[in-house]
Formats: sequence, C-alpha cells, structure tokens
Amino acid sequence: MKTPGCKGYFLTRRNMLGATGGAMLGLSMKNLVSLAAAPAAQAAAKADHVILFWNGGGMSHIDTWDPKPGRPTAGEFNPIKTSADGVQISEIFPLLAKQMHHATIIRSVAGANGDHGRATYQLQTSYNESPNLRHPGLGSVVVHERESIGDLPSYISISGEAPRAGYLGQKCEAYYVGLPGEKDPYLAFPENINQVRGNKRLDILKKMNTKFNEANKDPRLDATQTAVDDAVRLMRSPALAAFDLETEKPETIARYGENAFGRGALLARRLVEKGVRFVQINRGGFDTHSNNFPAMQAHGDTMDPALASLIADLNSNGMLKRTLVLVMSEFGRTPRINNTAGRDHHAACFSCFMAGGGLKGGYVHGSSDIDGVRPKDNPVKVPELHASICYALGIDYTKEVMTPLSRPMRLVDKPGEPVKALFA
Amino acid sequence: MRTFVTGFAASAFLLFASLSAHAAPPAPTQVDQFITAENAGKSVAGAPAIDDLTYLRRVSLDLIGRIPNEKEIREYMAMPAGDRRAKLVDRLIADERFTDRWAVFFADMLRIRSGQTGGTALLAFVHQAVKDGMPYDEMVRRMISANGKAGKTPEVGFILGDDADPMALAGATAQTFLGIRIACAQCHDHPFDKWSQEEFYSFAAFFGKTQRVESRFNRSIYTTEGNQNRVMWPPAEPGVTNRKPVPPAFLYQVNHGTLTPAVARLEKLRAAEAEKARGAASKTASIDDILAGVDTDKATKKAPTFDVAGNAKQEIKKIDVEADLYRKSEWRHNLGQLITDPNNRNFSWAITNRVWKELVGRAFVEPVDDFKSTNKASHPKAFDYLSDEFVASGFNFRSLVRMIVLSETYSRGHLTNVSEEARTAAEEAFVAAPMRRMLAEALFDSVVEAGHLWDVKWPEGANKRTIRQAVRIRIDEEGKPAKATSVAASGAGDEKMAMQPRMMVEKAPMSGYNLEQAIEVDFSKVLAAAMKDDEPKIEMMEAISPEDLEARNMLMERQNAPRARFITRYVEVEIGYNPKFTSSMRMESPAPRPHFLRVFGQPAREALGEEREELPSMRQALMLLNGSLTNEAARVGTLEPMHKLLTGPKPDVTAAVRLAYREIMTREASAAEIAFAKEIIAGAESPVEGMADLRWALLNSNEFRYIP
Repeated sequence: MKTPGCKGYFLTRRNMLGATGGAMLGLSMKNLVSLAAAPAAQAAAKADHVILFWNGGGMSHIDTWDPKPGRPTAGEFNPIKTSADGVQISEIFPLLAKQMHHATIIRSVAGANGDHGRATYQLQTSYNESPNLRHPGLGSVVVHERESIGDLPSYISISGEAPRAGYLGQKCEAYYVGLPGEKDPYLAFPENINQVRGNKRLDILKKMNTKFNEANKDPRLDATQTAVDDAVRLMRSPALAAFDLETEKPETIARYGENAFGRGALLARRLVEKGVRFVQINRGGFDTHSNNFPAMQAHGDTMDPALASLIADLNSNGMLKRTLVLVMSEFGRTPRINNTAGRDHHAACFSCFMAGGGLKGGYVHGSSDIDGVRPKDNPVKVPELHASICYALGIDYTKEVMTPLSRPMRLVDKPGEPVKALFA
Repeated sequence: MRTFVTGFAASAFLLFASLSAHAAPPAPTQVDQFITAENAGKSVAGAPAIDDLTYLRRVSLDLIGRIPNEKEIREYMAMPAGDRRAKLVDRLIADERFTDRWAVFFADMLRIRSGQTGGTALLAFVHQAVKDGMPYDEMVRRMISANGKAGKTPEVGFILGDDADPMALAGATAQTFLGIRIACAQCHDHPFDKWSQEEFYSFAAFFGKTQRVESRFNRSIYTTEGNQNRVMWPPAEPGVTNRKPVPPAFLYQVNHGTLTPAVARLEKLRAAEAEKARGAASKTASIDDILAGVDTDKATKKAPTFDVAGNAKQEIKKIDVEADLYRKSEWRHNLGQLITDPNNRNFSWAITNRVWKELVGRAFVEPVDDFKSTNKASHPKAFDYLSDEFVASGFNFRSLVRMIVLSETYSRGHLTNVSEEARTAAEEAFVAAPMRRMLAEALFDSVVEAGHLWDVKWPEGANKRTIRQAVRIRIDEEGKPAKATSVAASGAGDEKMAMQPRMMVEKAPMSGYNLEQAIEVDFSKVLAAAMKDDEPKIEMMEAISPEDLEARNMLMERQNAPRARFITRYVEVEIGYNPKFTSSMRMESPAPRPHFLRVFGQPAREALGEEREELPSMRQALMLLNGSLTNEAARVGTLEPMHKLLTGPKPDVTAAVRLAYREIMTREASAAEIAFAKEIIAGAESPVEGMADLRWALLNSNEFRYIP
C-alpha cells in the first residue's frame, strides 16, 4: 500500500498566503511547490532507504577510517587489513574489516565549522546555519521527496533527536523512538484498556467526530479523522512487530551488541525491511578532548559488531544494494594529541563511512595529507556529500522548495554536485 | 455556532439551563461599527453570535489557556446576564494564568528559546512584564536597547537570541515589531517590495557596534558595544574594495511629536501616571523588586526529571558580567525610541494585527508580519481605530485584549454548512469565526482541568501497578555493571534512583510517557537567581594569565568529558500510580521535540515568521488515543464529584453524563447525547468504567480540541 509522503501536507495556510505573492510573478501553485521546472538533475536511483548513524561530538577520523601509521600523530591504534584490497582501517573495527568489500570511505571531507552546533547543522542539512531560517535535515528531505511505503512512519529517529524538518513542516519530522527495544506506549492502547474496550472507544469517538464534522463541514476536521484512522491502522499493523526486538533470537541480539547502539542497528534493519525510508541512530560521546584512546576503543567495541552485523545481514537478505548505510559526525579530530591524551576539534579534513545503496564496494574516495590535516586528493565539500546521498536515492538535489516566507530554497546547498566516482 | 446545543431536558440545573438558553448578543462596539461600515457593499452572509456558555469556553481558552471548570460555569451563569461577559473578562484578565498564556504568545513572537544563551531569563522577563502590565512600548524598548548587567536586565536575551548579529537582528526587529519583511534585502534588493539592499544595511547599522562576547575567564556570555561599526557598504563580494562603515538610518521618516488625538491622549495619560508615581512609590512587585528580593533555592516547584532549574541557573551564570563591561548603546537606544514612537504607525499596527489574529482567527493584514503597499489591511478604519486606542491606552496590552474580546466580531460563531468560498468570504469580512484549534499548551492544560489532574484524585496507595523501566547503568573498568538495590519510578511523577557506591545511573533518555510531562519553572525565581549568582571580578580576569586560564579550562573539560560506558537494564518496580500534572504554560520552551507540545504545534521558534502549525497528524492522534494524559483524565477518580453520582446508593447516571459534558465541553448534553452516553455506560463493565470510556471519547473528539 502506498501513501503520499509528507508532500501532501506541505501547503499550510501560510504557504497558501505566500502563494498569493508568487501569483503576481505569474507562477502557478504547482510551480510554487516545486520551482524546479528545469530538467531534473540526474540521479543514480538505486537506493530506497537510508540508515544513518550519527556520531555526535566529532569522531576522530585518524582512529577510525583514516589511520596514519608511523606518524607521531598516529595515536595508539594500528591499522588492520580488510576484505577490500589495499584498504586499511583502525584495529578498533576487527569485524567491520571483514565487510569492507561492501563499503566506501571518503577520506577527504572538507568541513567548514569547528563549533559543534554550526558543524552539526551543516553536516545534517548541507547548509550553514542561518539565524532566521531553519533548513531541513537529510531525513526530512528524503521523506519529502520519496513517498512512504507500508504502514510505519517513513522517518524514524532512535536514541535521540534527529535534525528538524525546518520549512518542510511537521509532517517531515522524524518519529521518535527513545530506547530501541523499549515498548513505545503510544503504539498501543494503555495497559488497562484491552483490545475489545479500546475498539469500542474508537467506535464511540468515530460517531462523535462524524456528527461534529458533518455539522461543521470544514475539510480540516476530516483530516483529523484521517489522522486517527492512520494511527489506528499503525496500531493494528503487523509491521509494528518490527519494533519488538524480543522476537529476535538472543544470539542475534548478542551479535549486534547488547547495548543501545547494537539494538538501534538491529531495529534499523528491521524497520527498513518494513519499508521505512530513513532511520537515524544517534550516539554521543565522541568529543574526546582528553583520554581519546580508551574512549575510542570503547566506541569501537560497541560500533564494530553492530555495523558489521548490519551490513552482513542486509547483504544476505538482499537489502544492501537498496539501503545506504552512513556513519557521519560533525567533524574529525586533530592529528595533534594534546597533553591530556585527547584530540581537539578538526573540521578541515575528516572521513565519512558509507556502504550499500548502489555505491562501489571496497572503495576509498579521496585522501588526506600525511597527517590527516587537510584533504590531499579529491576534497569533498559537505553539500557535495549531501548531493551524492540524494543522487543515490534518485532525489533531485537541485530542486527548489518554497519556504513559508516565499523564499525558494534548494534542497541541497550550492555548490553541490554529486561525487559520481562513488557509484558503481 | 455550537452544533450540539439542541435543547435541554428538565434537570436539577434548571437555572443553569434556562439562563444559557437566552443569550443576549453583545452590542456593537466602535470597532464593530467600523467593520460593518467597511463591509458595506460586500454581500456576505455572516454567522450568528455565540451563546453565553460558548463565549465562556472560547474566551477562557483565549485569555487563560484552558477550559472553564464546573464551578466557574456556575459562577458565570449566576451573574446578571447584562454584564456577565464584561465581568468574566475582567476576572480572566486579572487571572494569573492570563500571564502564562500571553507569555506563550510573546515567546512565539520573539522566538524565545530556553536553550539559547539568555533564553530562559528572557522568557522570565517577558512573563514578568505581562504580569506587571508593563507598557508594550517599554518592553520592546528595553529589549532593543538592553544596556546593563545581563543578570539584572534579562532582556539582553533578545540580542543574544540572534547572536548579536546585526543582519539577523535587523531582519528580526523589522519583521517582529514593524511588520516589515526586510530580511530578503540582506542579499539583494527586495523582490516584492520597495526595500533596497542599502536600506537594509543602513538599518542593520543600528546594531553595528553590538558585540556578543564570551568571557575568557569563566566562559560567560554577554553583549557589549564596541567602538567600530561592523556593518560595511558595499557588501563583501569578490572584487569589491573600499568598503566603508554605513551610518545607521531608519527605514522611513517617523513624525515624532505630531499630536494626533491618540498621541495627545497618551501624553496626558503618561503625565498623570508620572504625577502619581512622584506621589507614592509603587506597592506592586515589579521586576526590579523581584530582582532585589533574593530567595533562590530552587526555581522549580518540584524535583524534575530534567534539570530545568539547574539549566536556568547555569544559563544565567553564563551571562553574568560586571556592569563595567557594558557601554551604553546610543544607537540602539535611538533605534528603540524610533521603533516605539507613538507616531510610528507600524509599531502599533504590528502588535494589534497579531493580537487580533490570535483572538479572531484572521488578521487585518495577512500574513501578520507583511505590511506593504501591495498588501493592504482588509478593514483599514477598524484597524487604525484599534491601533490608536491601543496607543492612547498607554500601550496597555490587557486593554487591547479586552477591547477585542468584548467586541461583537469576537463573539461570532462559525459558519457551518456553506461552501468553502462563502465561508472564506465571511471570515475575511470578520462576520464568521474561523475554526481554530486550541494552542498545544491550552489543549494540554484543558485535558488536565477536565480530568481533575491538577491534584491527585485517588486516595494514597490506590492504583498499585508494576512498571518496567529502562535504566542506564554505568559499568566499571572490568565491564561489570554495579547492582541497583532499588529503583523507584513513575510515569509522570518523581524519579528516585537509589545508588550504591561505585554505581552511577545516568538520566534516562526521553522515552515512555515522559513525552507528556510538564515541569513548571518559577519565573520570578529565575529572575531572582540571576541577581544572586556571584559575578566575576574584573580584576580577577586581568590577574589571571592566559596559561592559567588554559589550564583551568582543560580541567573543566576533563571533568565534563563523557567517557563513561553504560549498559541498559530493565527493572520492575511497584508504584501507586496517581499522577498529578502541572501547567504546560510554564515549562522551559520550546519543549523537547517529541514532547506533546511540539507534536501539537508549538513552534521551534527559530525561523522568522514561523507560525504554529494546526495540521492534524498521526503522531497527535497516537498521543491522545494512547497517551497517559487522556487516559488518566478519563478515569474517574474516587475523590471526584463524578464518582459519587455513579457509585452511591442511588446512582444518577443522567446527572453524571450532564456533568461530564459540562466539565469537558462547557455545555449541556442534548437528549440524544444523554441517551447515547447511557447506552455506553450500560454496556460497560461498570458505570465508572463506562464513564471513563465516554470521557476518553469526549477528550479525543474534534469538538473538544477546536475552539467553539
């Protein structure tokens, strides 16, 4: 079953008013929703889903995807060989190393902001922060452009807040899951209300609303009943079982890791299997100004089994080529190790891990200089990274959408051309 | 027009029913007469006036942000019909919840974010200003000029809200206070309006010397005035040289000192007030009084799960500074004078337009903040009249609200059963009320009110239940979790974590029913706390070497570094689940994104011109269908009056149904509704459970959440 994405809800009253101004310029309503009358940007259109691991705080690139052996700045970890010829990553990822033939690493991401807030904003939206406009995050863009599949919300954020939908509006906001595996109380009747009684209540409500809506004849009231119907369909959907990790074998849970990150990765896999477009798993604790190495070892211990199991499982069930797995952070960390054995913020050059979604496997794009200070080859700017992700999903990254103040905004900031070399 | 009021069966509430049947339509006020005159020639059918009970519900929601309770209904209907509405409005305007509700309005308008540096203090300032009845012009002047110590003048939060950025502040100030959308002209001449980029730059120059400074000493943040104007013309572009600071210039000529009748009345009023002030010191608590009185143990009323009080205090600590660090901002002082000048029509228009829209559902100028030659007011005379009266009242906010809610226009019903075009035309002509959904905060508080949830409605020890709760436990070096002896928790109440040595429990993420929690902030204590916090001494700042500072900062970072490892465990605890709720109007805001308030349209308050979304969504439906708030409100507590009607030796189900409709819908139940309700109750396990089903459906219904 297909329902429209959040597009259908986009024209709020305010936008309708904005449209009046646009009409003076001879633009029709249709054009206002999408000003991209120009030929759509080409798209790879292989991926249908995204699983984004957001590692907040600024994850060290040198201790993860871009080891610098033999340099004074190399730190405590050794590089290890992987299943991809000639590609080495940090030893904190022994299991993931065996999946690297499915993965792509960009080692030349060139960020522009060394401040957590501003950098997070740009990495999540492709835009620099603007004081009086809020740009939508990647997940909101994806669900705005790709229609939803199945009963589940098409954009789900786990263990924390995903970026906001900004001018795309509430319908493009993420559905929030606090703790993966914990029962979401809003998806079922309260404990003291059994199914029979709950359904009886819904009948009473429907009778009341029908009477009220018929008497008032306001289309917005009908939309309220539609929302209730959608909610009830979700409550009754077999797809909800995806949230229930108890149905997984204990060995599987153990394989991903018995922690929020592992459970999040497992839940993400189950959700995309049910058609969810975009899942974001949030994790913090990467701001390692001191004692960087034990902290990164601990992060590796948690991330390695989860990411390796996720990629292996998506591959074996055939979902990997249609699912783009991303590991992103707002910036990297300084090659220099400070006097508290930490690394500080470093935006000029860092890495991004990607897998599946029609990308090449076992590929490294770009490189950093000898110490990982600056990009050496093929620097990738943040909007280019976003354009590439849109490209993978068949989304026109040049498309312009009207903000509530009637200002046309591109979905991805300029200059943002996709990095075609990433794609198979 | 209310749809379900179809007549009344004989009841014990005869007086009540007979009074409500005879609604006296209000007499047209001056503003109504202008509107009628300006509608001449338009052939639009209007909606009839609403009755007294409908008015009570509407105006209670609009003025104090919740529905009336049964006692308030009785008191209101017992008042003489002639001046019932005026008396009611006087009472509501004096209610302390009026302050809470309209602080929400200003917080939206000013884009106040508690999470922003100075945000909670600014929220507290606005709350106090509404409470004190601070004239609107003074409030705005203080925010724009904002000189002085940050703790003492929390209004610097306005400047800090846009990071003291001249361009952002220019756009925000013009649009918010003057209804002029000039922000587009930052990058290019305005496409739909007359503003040029150079005019924008000249306007921004008023903020050109304003700086946001982060103290090297304690990382506190404050604003100050530099010597250099940072706004340069022409804009920085490749190839552009010879850029020069732009002198500040206002957007248009303000005819300061012109004695229009409204301005003359204002001056007379202010002269009289000044005279009175000289006579005796004010006895009412003002912001400054509150700042002087220091009792600041805790700024919240109960121990919160999220550390709101702590956050507020910490944030105020961040903006504490010595007075010497500030310099007077002459430019911003002048700007404040120009913007708030009684002869600056845009200033009184902009706020009048917003308040009218908030109450009537449609503004004179739409969008509310877009005044320009091609977007004229729908009823210019009525609009000018109301704006002038607001100026003449001394920019008295309550007086503006009072004028509007006592108008005939405000008391119009909805137009039902007509075409979309006819309804739109009537709403544009102000002869029918558009359907408005309750504010998220009002919806939350109304469910609490209707469900008797401000206080416990069960005796202690009732409703024992076992709750499975996720706890994040810190693990030690060997990777072993420390054991928790006991963990007591409840869905909506206090959360206590018993601790053993070497065990640390981290604050659980926002999950479960926490999404419906409201934690009140005591705003006057926030303001007072601002005063009490110790402030760094300038000499200390100068005495400390950069190396020492660096070492100090390192130490702070090391202490804060989150390197701990946690695992998630589930524990089962037995609790008596008898939740109480507090007002959602007094929370830090905006609430966390998955929170009830945000789901129901509380804006993020980031983008300029952002309006509250009223669109229904599946998330909203899930929250009301299955949430703890509606479910608890529906259950009939043994301490409620309702309980006696259903369980006594002589249960009176009809009276109980009537009471339910009065408590939840502010109206009498129709005969058909009573019959339907009795059917529901008869079919349930017990009358009490049947009543819970009825109340649940009423609370979830469209009629409940849309303002009648």
